[in-house]
Amino acid sequence: MRFYLSLIALTTVLNGFAQQSELLIPKDAVTVFSLNNIQLLQKVSLDDLVSYEFMAEVQQELFDGSTSGKTLKDSGLDFDQRLNVFYGKGDQYEISGFTFGMKDKEQLFTVFDDFEKSKSPYEGVELYTSFFNNLLIKGNQGLLIRVEPTMEKIDEITDSIWYARGFEDPWMELYYPEDDYEGEFDGEMEEEMYQETFDTEDQGNYFPPDQEDPLKKNYFELRDSVNTIYQQRYFSFVCDELFKDGYNLMKHDLRFTEHIKHTSEGIFYLDNSRSVQKAQNLWYLQTMFPTLYNDVKELYTGNVILGDLFLKDNAVEFKVEARYGQELGSIYEKMNNSKFDKDVLKYIHKDNSAFFSYNVNLREAYEQAYKVIVPILENERNVQVSYNLLMLELINEYVNKDALFDTYKGSMFGTFNGIRKIKTKKIIFEYDEETFDYIEREVEAEEDMPIFTLGFSTERGDIPEKILKHLSRLTSRFKNMGDYWVYEEAVLDAASLYMIHKNGLFIFTNDEDLAMNHSDGYGADALKGSLAKKAKKSGFMYGHIDWSRTIDHFPRDFFNEEENEMLDAMRGKTGNMELTSSKTTKESTKFNLVYNFNGEYENSGKYLLDLVNSVYVISK
Amino acid sequence: MKHRIYFLIIGLVFGLTSCIEIIDDVTIHNDGSGTYKYTVNLSASKVKINSILALDSLDGKKVPSKEDIENDFLDVIESLKKKSGITNVDYSMDFSDYIFKLQCDFKSIEYLQDAIKAIVKEQSKEKDSEEYNYNWISWDGNKLMRSIPELDIKQTKSMKQEDIDLLKTGNYTSITRFDRPVDRFENAKALMSKNKMAVMIKTDPYSLTQDYNLLENTIYLTPQK
Repeated sequence: MRFYLSLIALTTVLNGFAQQSELLIPKDAVTVFSLNNIQLLQKVSLDDLVSYEFMAEVQQELFDGSTSGKTLKDSGLDFDQRLNVFYGKGDQYEISGFTFGMKDKEQLFTVFDDFEKSKSPYEGVELYTSFFNNLLIKGNQGLLIRVEPTMEKIDEITDSIWYARGFEDPWMELYYPEDDYEGEFDGEMEEEMYQETFDTEDQGNYFPPDQEDPLKKNYFELRDSVNTIYQQRYFSFVCDELFKDGYNLMKHDLRFTEHIKHTSEGIFYLDNSRSVQKAQNLWYLQTMFPTLYNDVKELYTGNVILGDLFLKDNAVEFKVEARYGQELGSIYEKMNNSKFDKDVLKYIHKDNSAFFSYNVNLREAYEQAYKVIVPILENERNVQVSYNLLMLELINEYVNKDALFDTYKGSMFGTFNGIRKIKTKKIIFEYDEETFDYIEREVEAEEDMPIFTLGFSTERGDIPEKILKHLSRLTSRFKNMGDYWVYEEAVLDAASLYMIHKNGLFIFTNDEDLAMNHSDGYGADALKGSLAKKAKKSGFMYGHIDWSRTIDHFPRDFFNEEENEMLDAMRGKTGNMELTSSKTTKESTKFNLVYNFNGEYENSGKYLLDLVNSVYVISK
Repeated sequence: MKHRIYFLIIGLVFGLTSCIEIIDDVTIHNDGSGTYKYTVNLSASKVKINSILALDSLDGKKVPSKEDIENDFLDVIESLKKKSGITNVDYSMDFSDYIFKLQCDFKSIEYLQDAIKAIVKEQSKEKDSEEYNYNWISWDGNKLMRSIPELDIKQTKSMKQEDIDLLKTGNYTSITRFDRPVDRFENAKALMSKNKMAVMIKTDPYSLTQDYNLLENTIYLTPQK
């Protein structure tokens, strides 16, 4: 018995150690994608892997031919460990990289062939460096990391040294090396000069002016030095925390520690509270109104998005939980306290390609936000904030909130009904056979147009009607057609926009058929059955896309090459995508995105990476 | 023999592929002076163009605003006005139907050719190229020789199929007019007007990108009385 218990304990311990690549994720990681089932990735070629945007920061030495013709299987990775891709940006520096398990060091260095061994300051840790990146190996785990000071930090330090040395504005010297410009520079001028300098075709050959004394650094050389020093400093800082203090993301955020235990194919972690802090508009807040900034930061505390990715035989499921703090949660809870408007279903055709519904209660959200935000603003002793607070309170008193929120309650829906030919006009040139002189003639033409419908619930449709009535006096292109209004050539200067106010809904559409023949709804052809039930029962949001009807209609021009590749992979496959949401509580809202498809993907590992990359691009 | 002269305006204006119609119309008087007219008609694709112009970027490249297009076009006009031997420069830009016209008088074919070469050079990244030495039109008083630009075939190879299809549905019309009747011409695809004073060749932009000799022609006029 003791033998079995020992065996179980040993197995548990070994398994525990076998899954430790996540212990090398620095605490500064704000976004993490952790791929559990990396067996799937064995077939993925390394060339494909390094072409993903989420690998962009660390790919330089991988993308130098050493990966040619190889797959991840040849890379020495341990497929029993997780592969964790991370990214994080703080006030001082940003980090990017990935952690992995290692099975065969020799094989690993046939891929990482540009790394050279350096002296490691950490016991039991091997350090390898290349021009951009650092590879640290501890036992059978590896950390490939790049640490860069933020541009703001480099600017700040470089400028302070530069001016302290008594030099003038370096940009002046750059733009007007010989001119004596005495006027004042405004922002627009500066932007113009910047464009002129850097948008030229010769920018690759641009060299900054030298100092008279060759031993003194010019501004750009100084900047490079600052960059290098701070890069080393922050790299040491991050590694000290990891390898000396043993402090990592697992210890820093227990939500991540819990989440990474999930056995799904991949997990996703985004600490929105830290992501919010780096937002540019909050930087302004931090500088100008530090107290207010701290209060807003407090509001976002606990804001984290946790996701699980499941790959099934004929489905991919993405479960996401958005967690937030009590105060923000109280606003979301009130906002999502809204019933589904059944009349919406009347305007969704049973054969539609895609639709969504969104139910929110703006009135309650406004009242709650007012309760939460006004006390925060009241604490700020600042003229501008006080003035804005006064305006807010006056508006709150004087504006007829009943009229406002009854006009736009917040609930809306949208449909995509595919591409239809619409009638337009074009100019042709007609030639006289006698002289070949030509004249212009306007003729009827047809062009493709995506057909959309967007509507919102209203109890005061008379208010938008008033606006339309006045607009129709201003231009003959606005017309009241009885059951609907039309604004001619409103969409892309070609198609008409129709407006319907019926059944407590105000609807905008470029669907002529809906306006002219179905202004009361599609009747027997309206959406019914299970889809309608799901839309009604979902939380504040529901979305459904029928790929077979939608994907072929996506305009290729609007997507880049990689996105088109992903869309191409989906073309020709039937299936649907469904987004549902839970009821919102003060603590969290859950979303579930399921993509069901018929047929198999040739390489599910590549598909997994496609999805991870999409999420990375969206979340970055 | 690489020229992008005729496509300069299109390149400047859009860099986008749409159902396009181009008319290139040259009138040559007996004394060698004449009038040059160039028309780009994108009205058949105005929905597509409007939808693209509504975007900030497309396929990773910045989409020019109407103002950018107008400024680029005006740059070419202003530059053309300053060229010697070029007078009466006129233009129109119709942003509702996307029709762009340019017209000028020239003292002689050489002046026109030099002016266009200079503008291409100004707008091009390549400041020194053998292309600028190539003469694409010549006139000796009785015989006119015209060749036409070579669109970069490599560029069309990287185009998406639907863009190539759009180029195929477009029109490229080249007209050459004279003060006296045409005797004969060498391009079998050319047509003569009933009054024998003009020669026209029609093709589509895609065919031109594949065979830039399509519009090459030598036109012989009847002797001057």
